Amino acid sequence: MKIVKSLLLISLISIFSFSAKAVTLNAIMENVPDTLFIQELLPDFKAKTGIDVEFEIMGYGEMHPKMIPSLTASTGSIDFMPVDFYWVGEFALAGWMIPLDDYIEKDSFDTSVYFDSMMELVGKVEGTTYMLPFYNYAMGLTYRKDLVADATHQAGFKSKYGMDLKEPTSWDEYMNQVSYFTGNGTKYGVVNQGSKADPVAMEWSNYLYANGGRFHDENWHGELTSDAAKNALADYIHNLNNHGPTGAAAFGFDEAFNVAAQGQAYSYITYNWFMPSYEDASQSGVVGKMALAPVPNNGSLNGAWGWAIPTSSPNADAAWEFIKWVESPEIVAKRALMGGAPTRSDAFNNPEVLAKYPHYGALKNILATAKNFPVFTYTPQFVEIMGTELSKAIIGEKSIDDALASMNSELEALAKKDGLYK
Amino acid sequence: MNKNLELADRGFGYILVAPTFIIILAVILFPITFAIVSSFFDYTLINKSFNNFIGIENYINSLKNERLINSILVTFFFVILVVFFEFILGFFIALLLNSINKFKTVYYFILLLPLLINPIVVGLIWRMFLHPQLGILNFLLSLFGIGEVNWLGDPHMAFTTIIFVDIWHQVSFMIILLLAGLSAIPKEPYEAAKTDGANIIDCFLHITLPYMRPVIVITVLIRLIFAIKTYDLIYIMTKGGPGDSTDLISYYIYRSAFISLNLGEAAAMSSILLLIIIIITIPLFRYMDRLD
Repeated sequence: MKIVKSLLLISLISIFSFSAKAVTLNAIMENVPDTLFIQELLPDFKAKTGIDVEFEIMGYGEMHPKMIPSLTASTGSIDFMPVDFYWVGEFALAGWMIPLDDYIEKDSFDTSVYFDSMMELVGKVEGTTYMLPFYNYAMGLTYRKDLVADATHQAGFKSKYGMDLKEPTSWDEYMNQVSYFTGNGTKYGVVNQGSKADPVAMEWSNYLYANGGRFHDENWHGELTSDAAKNALADYIHNLNNHGPTGAAAFGFDEAFNVAAQGQAYSYITYNWFMPSYEDASQSGVVGKMALAPVPNNGSLNGAWGWAIPTSSPNADAAWEFIKWVESPEIVAKRALMGGAPTRSDAFNNPEVLAKYPHYGALKNILATAKNFPVFTYTPQFVEIMGTELSKAIIGEKSIDDALASMNSELEALAKKDGLYK
Repeated sequence: MNKNLELADRGFGYILVAPTFIIILAVILFPITFAIVSSFFDYTLINKSFNNFIGIENYINSLKNERLINSILVTFFFVILVVFFEFILGFFIALLLNSINKFKTVYYFILLLPLLINPIVVGLIWRMFLHPQLGILNFLLSLFGIGEVNWLGDPHMAFTTIIFVDIWHQVSFMIILLLAGLSAIPKEPYEAAKTDGANIIDCFLHITLPYMRPVIVITVLIRLIFAIKTYDLIYIMTKGGPGDSTDLISYYIYRSAFISLNLGEAAAMSSILLLIIIIITIPLFRYMDRLD
C-alpha cells in the first residue's frame, strides 16, 4: 500500500512540476523601446520562476483589433496585456480586466511608489485597481538648449522681446522663442505632428492646457468653445503654418522627430521617450544639444500604459507573477538604465539612472504636473473626432470656432452616452 | 436501370461537391449572413449580444452620417481615377510589351515588382520618399529648381498623391492581365488586314479592341472591386487626412468597427458598400454575358 501511495505521490508531483514548467505566457506588445528592453530581461524572469514569456510585437494600430477577439472569448490567447490609457474606460466597462487588488494585498505590493497621476490614468478605475502602470509617454517640450545658451541669441532675443532667453516657463515666452528662431539659428521655430487623428489630438492637448483650457468641467459639460481653446487652436495653426516645415499637417511623430533630430527645428512638443533617440548619433544630428522641459504653464499632457490581466487569461496567477517581476524596483531600474520610461517614482531618484539620463529630472517634474486626457468609454472615438476636426481647421476647411464647436458637441454626446454628463 | 444509374451518379456528384459547398458556406456565406444580421441589432464589441433589435436604425444613422457620405464620394472619385489611369497606362505598356521579343522576362520582372510588395510596405516606402524636407522626391525636384512640394499635407495634393502611389503599385496588375489577353489574339487577322492596307490604328481599333473586349471588362471589373476596398495605403500614408480628403470608405468602416467598437453600424455600412459594389458590377457582368 505504501508503494502505491508513494507512486501516486511521485506521479502527482511529476504532473504538477510538468505543468508548472510548461507554462508559457503570451502577450501582444507594442513595438516600442520599453518592450524590447523587457524582452532582453526575460531570461531573468525565466530563471526565477521557470515561466516562459512570448511577446507578439506589432505596431500600435494593429494591437487593439488583434486583442479584441481574445478579450471577448471565454478563454483567450493572451495571458497579460499592456493597456493604453485610451482603452481603459472601454476595457473596464466591458469587464475585460481582472481586479488586481487581491493579488496586490496578498503579495504586499507597494503601489504608493507610482505617481498619483499614473495610478489615476492607468491604475485605478472607480477605486478598483485593474492595472499597474507600465511606461509613461507624458509629453514635454524638447528644445535646442545650445541655441538658448548662445550669447548672441540671448542678446538678440532680449533686444527684440525685452525678456531673457531661457528655458520657457510661460506660453508667451515660448511663442516668442518659436518666432525668434524661425530662420534664425535653425530653419524652423517648431515642428508639429499635425497628422490626424492621434498625433494632432495629443499634441494640441498640450496647447490647450498651456493656454489654461480644459476639455470639460466636473459634470462633463464641454469647455472646448472657451477662449482658451480658441487661442490654443489659433496658436497651433499659426505655428504650423508660419514657423514650421511644409507638410507638417501630415506629419506623424516619426516624421516630425526626424526634422527635429536633423537640427532643422528649434522645438518639438512630443513624447519624452524621444530624448534617448536625440542622443543616439546613428539617428540624430543634435546629440548633446536637446533638452526636455515641461510644456510651459503646466501644459504637459500625460500618457501611459498599464499592465493588466484579461478576464479571459488562461494563466492569471502566472501573469501576476510576471507583472510583479516586471514592476519590481530592480527590473524597473534596469529598464530605466537601458533607456526605458518607467512610472515608478523611485526610478527617478536612482543616482545611476539620473547620471546616465539627466533629463529624468525634468521628466519627474512633468509626471508630477502633467494633465490627463479625458478617459472614458469612448476615448478612442473622441480622439478620432478631435483629430479630424483639428485637421480640418488646420487646412482651412473649417473655421476655428466651427471645428471647436463640433468637438465640443461630440464630446458631450459621447459623455451622455457613457452616463457621465450631468 | 439507366435511370437508377443516373440517380446514383447524381448522388455521388452531390457527395463530391458537398465538402466544397460546406466550406463555401462556412467561409463566405456565414460571415456575410452574420454581418447582415448584426446590422439590425445594437451590437457593439463592448456588448456583444443580439438582445436589442433596432431594425433599420443603423442604416438610417449611416445614411445620415455626413462623414460616411463624404467617404463614399471620396471613394467614388478615387476608384474612377485610379481604374481609368491604370487601365490607360496598363494597356499602353501591355501593347508595347506585346510587340517586343527581347528581354521580355526582364521587363516582366521589373514591372511585377511593385505588385509583389505588401501595400503596407509600399505606404511606408512612399511616406519616406515623400517627406517634404528629408524625402528623395523633393530633393530630386530641387535639383531642377522646384520648391518643396507638400505631397500629403495639402488636401488636394494628398488625394492626387494617393492616386499616384496606387497607380504605381497596381498598374502591373492591369499590364499582366491585358498582356495575357493580347498574346492570345491570333496573328492571322493582323496579316490579312495589313495585306488589305490597314495601318496600325486600324488594326488596333478593328482587331485588337474587339478581341480584347472580354479581357478588358473582366480586368476592369476586378480592379474596380479591389480599388473600392483600398484600405492599407490610406491607413499608412494619410489616416484619411488632411481633414477627411482621403478618407476612403473601407478605412472609415474599419474605424467604426474597431475604434468606435460599433459593429452593428459598421455592418450596416458594409452592407451598403456591398450593395454599391453589386450595383456597379451587375451591368459589367451582363455585358460580359452578352459578349459570351
